[in-house]
Amino acid sequence: MATDTAPSLSEQYLLDKDGKSDVGSKPVDLSKEESAEEAPTAAIEVKTEEPAAAQESTGTTPAAAEESIETTPAASSESTEAAPASSEENNETAEEEKSGEGETSEEKPEIKLETAPADFRFPTTNQTRHCFTRYIEYHRCVAAKGEGAPECDKFAKYYRALCPGEWVERWNEQRENGTFPGPL
Amino acid sequence: MKFLEWLFLTISPCDAAEPWQLGSQDGATPMMQGIIDLHHDIFFFLILILVFVLRILVRALWHFHYQKNPIPQRIVHGTTIEILRTIFPSLIPMFIAIPSFALLYSMDEVVVDPAITIKAIGHQWYRTYEYSDYNSSDEQSLTFDSYMIPEDDLELGQSRLLEVDNRVIVPAKTHLRIIVTSADVLHSWAVPSLGVKCDAVPGRLNQISIWVQREGVFYGQCSEICGTNHAFTQAVSRKDYGSRVSNQLIPQTEEA
Ligand SMILES: [Cu+2]
Repeated sequence: MATDTAPSLSEQYLLDKDGKSDVGSKPVDLSKEESAEEAPTAAIEVKTEEPAAAQESTGTTPAAAEESIETTPAASSESTEAAPASSEENNETAEEEKSGEGETSEEKPEIKLETAPADFRFPTTNQTRHCFTRYIEYHRCVAAKGEGAPECDKFAKYYRALCPGEWVERWNEQRENGTFPGPL
Repeated sequence: MKFLEWLFLTISPCDAAEPWQLGSQDGATPMMQGIIDLHHDIFFFLILILVFVLRILVRALWHFHYQKNPIPQRIVHGTTIEILRTIFPSLIPMFIAIPSFALLYSMDEVVVDPAITIKAIGHQWYRTYEYSDYNSSDEQSLTFDSYMIPEDDLELGQSRLLEVDNRVIVPAKTHLRIIVTSADVLHSWAVPSLGVKCDAVPGRLNQISIWVQREGVFYGQCSEICGTNHAFTQAVSRKDYGSRVSNQLIPQTEEA
């Protein structure tokens, strides 16, 4: 947005790094998301195939058994390749839902404890700018990719984890009124 | 008798202040253990110096006597002793400073990615806590106010000026990020057992990283003079939970 004119110091600090890093990181996220969408269906297919193949192998000739052995490893390897990518992305929501009725004493399997990571750009005690930058990153991401783009979700997660709710509300109002002080 | 009772018959809650307490509260984080260790290390040398200086002082006073030593020594210079007593005391603070700075900078260090972010927002005179890691929109977040229980409402066994209605619940042995800020005036979020004291400045987010080693209820009070009710500001207490976060946090975020 402010790339043609000489950016101010704060803009340089806030945007240039972020914009470039965003571009770098997004294709990776996209591929993850795609695989995440594909993976569940693939897994379901594998599951439906395997019992049928197993029945065939036990009931009928050895040739069918060989076939089933040939097919299932391939299918399962596909599923294992696809599964980790899907589990990374989908576990958050799935585990949150599951953990509603959690009663065991172990905390790790129930919910995924995850928050905004430590950022090397903000190594100090003062994290004000960290919060602000993440908020801007999210809205720049939404502006670039469109509302509800899945790759922007992580920025939303970060700024919500870092910024007080009051601040976010105020900034949202300011954005609506067009008086938001940051570069969007 | 009263004094002896104070000394020996206090039921100490360990993670809260106790009457006539001299030492620190029991540490529950590596940071607090570091602080206590440093204190003990320094105190060892402090006692040595104290004994040495007292000996010189008392001896000088003892011998400066008109009958025992009617003619005092006339020495006013001594190059060797002057060099020694200048160099040596200046070295001691340097040796104290080395572990002290190491500890100080390790406190600021954010080495690992935290697992949980908790926002502690100071108000006159209560605290608001936000758990927003699981939000999916700006509106919904697990937010609650933590008020101190007034003196009249305390139940037996609860600490005056410390107990709160809503405790902050955090997991043990997990890296936590506490974002401390204020909505009105300066406050300070402090929990002695955790070795934490962080100023809450309006318009600024201060981050502290803690790693609680054991389960317990840890008490603290506001450590910045913040108004009339400063003394009964907030008691931040922490209880470790196993599945409590998932029981309390998640259902509430879903409802909210
Ligand atoms: Cu206060």
